[in-house]
Amino acid sequence: MKNKKRKSLWEAYLTREIGIEFKACLYFFAILFYYCVYRIACGVFDANIFHMAEMILCCYIICYIQVYLFGNFDEAEKLKGREILGLGVCTALYTAVSFIGKWFDGKTGVYIGFAAYVLLLYLCVFLIYKTKRKIDDKKLNDDLKLFQAEHKK
Amino acid sequence: MKIDIKQITEGEESVVIRYRDLTPSIGKIISIINEEDNRLRGKTEEGEVFFSKDDILYLESVDDKVFVYTVDKVVRIDGSLNTFLAGNQDESFFRCSKSMIINVGRVTALKSLSSNRIDATMEGGEHIIISRRYASDFRRLLKGDR
Repeated sequence: MKNKKRKSLWEAYLTREIGIEFKACLYFFAILFYYCVYRIACGVFDANIFHMAEMILCCYIICYIQVYLFGNFDEAEKLKGREILGLGVCTALYTAVSFIGKWFDGKTGVYIGFAAYVLLLYLCVFLIYKTKRKIDDKKLNDDLKLFQAEHKK
Repeated sequence: MKIDIKQITEGEESVVIRYRDLTPSIGKIISIINEEDNRLRGKTEEGEVFFSKDDILYLESVDDKVFVYTVDKVVRIDGSLNTFLAGNQDESFFRCSKSMIINVGRVTALKSLSSNRIDATMEGGEHIIISRRYASDFRRLLKGDR
């Protein structure tokens, strides 16, 4: 019994960790895309490996903050107080790290654009999860109706 | 299986079942004892009541006591959630969390939640959360793959 409980706790922890890994990779690639577009616009066709290392590390840490402190707001049902606060704090953190790490060579306009991009990214991910759940709702309710009809016979 | 049958002349009639594993045959015996024309016996504040299994919206276990919720009453029944399920061949009763069983036949709507949980709205308007651990099994049940 104790082993079973320990196993399910371990499974729950592992599921959450995999979720964070997935999220970190998703945000890392999105940020890398913005970074690459900026570099190309500047006529530079290679990326700084230190910047990329900072990006992935930053994504991991911020994803932990997002999940454990702000209730995983991009997967939330609704964007309310805590979720909006999390959205703001995480966007500010990404922008601050990009500024400290000099990802965009100190150009203020690019940092403002980056903050807006991260905000938009969060909103898009939120909407994607919401749409996915809506489709799932429809499927679940259709299956429920079928089940109930079959078990009434 | 050893069967011990004893006739008594006084005192309350009782059946004791001792098992190692809750096999289908043991479950069937429990179901025969529990069932009287698909009716269950339980206790409310007003006293003993009989009710049909179809009236059940959901069952909840609180401090080792099992409560049955129907549209208009809460009834305490003997046994555990496991014995209820074992004595029930009906697929409509589904274990949705550690302490709850829902009657899928009395669910009016389902809503997918984050972290792969499901919110089930019962006929009485109550919302019951099917935890992540049981959600995939629930989806399989609805599809008939269980």
